[in-house]
Amino acid sequence: MTARGTPSRFLQSVLHNGVGRYVCQLKRISLVFSKKGQGSLGVRDFIEEGVVDFAKNNPGTVIYISPQSCRIPKIVAEYLNGNVKEEMVTNKTSQQIAELITKMSDQSGLDIIRIRKPFHTDSPSIQGQWHPFTNRPPSIEPVGQQKK
Amino acid sequence: MAMTLNRGNIAGMLRLLGTTGAHLSRATTRRGLVPALTRFQSSPASYVPPTSLSRPPWPELPVFDPEEEGRKHQVVVEKVKGLIEKGEYGRLFAVVHFAARQWKVTNEDLILIENHIDAACGDRIRMEKVLLVGGSDFTLIGKPLLSCDLVQVHATVIEKTESWPMVHMRFWKRHRFQKKRIIIQPQTVLRINTIDVLPRLF
Repeated sequence: MTARGTPSRFLQSVLHNGVGRYVCQLKRISLVFSKKGQGSLGVRDFIEEGVVDFAKNNPGTVIYISPQSCRIPKIVAEYLNGNVKEEMVTNKTSQQIAELITKMSDQSGLDIIRIRKPFHTDSPSIQGQWHPFTNRPPSIEPVGQQKK
Repeated sequence: MAMTLNRGNIAGMLRLLGTTGAHLSRATTRRGLVPALTRFQSSPASYVPPTSLSRPPWPELPVFDPEEEGRKHQVVVEKVKGLIEKGEYGRLFAVVHFAARQWKVTNEDLILIENHIDAACGDRIRMEKVLLVGGSDFTLIGKPLLSCDLVQVHATVIEKTESWPMVHMRFWKRHRFQKKRIIIQPQTVLRINTIDVLPRLF
């Protein structure tokens, strides 16, 4: 499929984030894993090693640890704008899971689709839009061929 | 540092225009008519009669006068200095060089960098390569950069994310050849917080 046929959006931020201060957009993160499963080994390692440090470094994020009898461990991230993102973490090491969680907390929860322009501005022109008479001296005569 | 005035100094600009106009009329008489006559009398350069296209359509400029130009430059500099000291420039915009691109930014803009940068989310960074700063009535142009203590552009890293999966597909028909490559590029979103001009020109 060509790029034009894909869904797209313009560059935006949630609620003017960063104009005053920066607010981490990750609201809640839940680690769903199995207590006995082999695929959840990395998640259990991460819970032992890194989850407390992550919680201390990100006081704005709630972390839920929910052991369930599941085959596929996953990480569910909920953002302040209401979006929910699930990631499967089967057979991943604790370091990979730490990187994944850091990436999730750095994102804003907006859809990851094609972004049409790499900039966004609310005031596109400060000195006025250009027209053929900008920076010209005022004259009464019509513009055209110079007189001899 | 070069400077241009767009609309603001009405009186000064009008005075300058009047003087240049007088120069222009004198120069045209001096240059346009007399040498042509002398050339025609001595040895004609061309036998083609003058038409509307034998001369460029723009008016002939007067001879460059360093003193006159210096005086004009001084007037413009004084005017811009006054505007900056009084703070009558409205919203500022700047052209900054960042991530191998030039971005025209103003306050509260968002820009998207197609790579990761070495700053965490929420960090405030300063963009030091400023090529141009403009207000509503003036523009300061660097040669090529403006000095760091004249302009300060601050930005905040608000998002470090990934691009959408871009599919690169190669397909050679009737040759049983196809390659598919999915590329995901790290991206960074910056918010421009402030653009400050400090009142120390030169």
